[in-house]
Amino acid sequence: MADEALFQFLHSEIIQYINSAETGESENGRCVSKLENMGFRVGQGLIERFTKDTPRFKDELDVMKFICKDFWTSVFKKQIDNLRTNHQGIYVLQDNKFRLLTQLSAGKQYLEHAPKFLAFTCGLVRGALSNLGVKSIVTAEVSVMPACKFQVMIQKI
Amino acid sequence: MSRQSNRATDSKKMNSELFTLTYGALVTQLCKDYENDEEVNKQLDKMGYNIGVRLIEDFLARSSVGRCHDFRETADVIAKVAFKMYLGITPSVTNWSPAGDEFSLILESNPLVDFVELPDNHNNLVYSSLLCGVLRGALEMVQMAVDVRFAQDTLRGDNVTEIRMKFIKRIEENMPAGDE
Amino acid sequence: MAVCIAVIAKENYPLYIRSVPTQGELKFHYTVHTSLDVVEEKISGVGKALADQRELYLGLLYPTEDYKVYGYVTNSKVKFVIVVDSSNASLRDNEIRSMFRKLHNSFTDVMCNPFYNPGDPIQSKSVFFCAHTLSIFYVTIH
Repeated sequence: MADEALFQFLHSEIIQYINSAETGESENGRCVSKLENMGFRVGQGLIERFTKDTPRFKDELDVMKFICKDFWTSVFKKQIDNLRTNHQGIYVLQDNKFRLLTQLSAGKQYLEHAPKFLAFTCGLVRGALSNLGVKSIVTAEVSVMPACKFQVMIQKI
Repeated sequence: MSRQSNRATDSKKMNSELFTLTYGALVTQLCKDYENDEEVNKQLDKMGYNIGVRLIEDFLARSSVGRCHDFRETADVIAKVAFKMYLGITPSVTNWSPAGDEFSLILESNPLVDFVELPDNHNNLVYSSLLCGVLRGALEMVQMAVDVRFAQDTLRGDNVTEIRMKFIKRIEENMPAGDE
Repeated sequence: MAVCIAVIAKENYPLYIRSVPTQGELKFHYTVHTSLDVVEEKISGVGKALADQRELYLGLLYPTEDYKVYGYVTNSKVKFVIVVDSSNASLRDNEIRSMFRKLHNSFTDVMCNPFYNPGDPIQSKSVFFCAHTLSIFYVTIH
């Protein structure tokens, strides 16, 4: 879809910008942090819009399922392929064909840049959860391109 | 209203909201990074340019639009095909200069500025500057050097958003430095 | 008609309160504050059937001598309270619901303004929000 392409271009360009703005030793960390924070704010707004007409959620698992199905579909045009949990506040969301990684080539030398391509989305999830009353830490890693896993650690307030 | 159709329209809207909100996050980030609005405008334009030089490939692949013969045709393609495709709106093309080298795109609505209210301390911010860069970058890749600027902006109190495009010159067919 | 409209953050401080100028504003602050306890009760679903718990619209929170206080909670745990003058022709439930819908829509728009920082007071930050809520005050004049 064309509008999806536009978002991907914007996303890439934002990464480029943040990357070039951050120089020095902790460059990667600050980069990822900035991208994550941007995603967080966007996630807050999106979830507010999206849950305007939905009934209230029953519990934490209900919220996570919503993220995996409805939220992911609206944002990435597909659902999360696999959700696992240890029922103790850790959830792993697996996307076998993550849209924002498709622009990155599969070569090993690009893998080091992958975290930057995942940071915004981590923030998106964290922001969405935060507004639904769930405090969390979200990290992500690439398994085999373009598949990746998002790990959500619920923080007890 | 069936659940199915609700979900489909919501999905489409959601995606444009994703773009709008992400763009908003970018603008606010730039406002934090730069001292003044002028710098932010410039940066947005530059980023737009970088997007434009790549977007044109995507556009040409999707639209199968042929080579434009003149600036008028270019204007129509931009308004009726490109804007529609990427932003879901169709601006009108008006205010042609007598020489036929300058025209306006009038946007009744601008999805980039949905929900946006400019705070008082950003009077010189041209929020949608990215668009200027995109148009400039894209057209440069098809050998047209153009100047693009906002003549009117609803965020700054005008009734409509008006983008003014001026043809500068044809670019020779050398490979431009940079993007490949 | 509506005499007071309030938006309360999930941490229970007000993001926005506005009341009709003829009435004492402080009184409404107190009314809204008291209503939050009732909201909490309703949200936690003490004694209510599971199905009822999931609606955003909470209905009548409590009546006072002159007013009726209605509540609504968003999925992001932001609470809306509308205080209505009970002496006027009684408002139908769906009219109250539509007032809340309107408020919810406006609030969502504010949340999507990139220059708005969630948690900040809305009062002076959003011209559109203030204008829309103003129209809610007058929407019920028949």
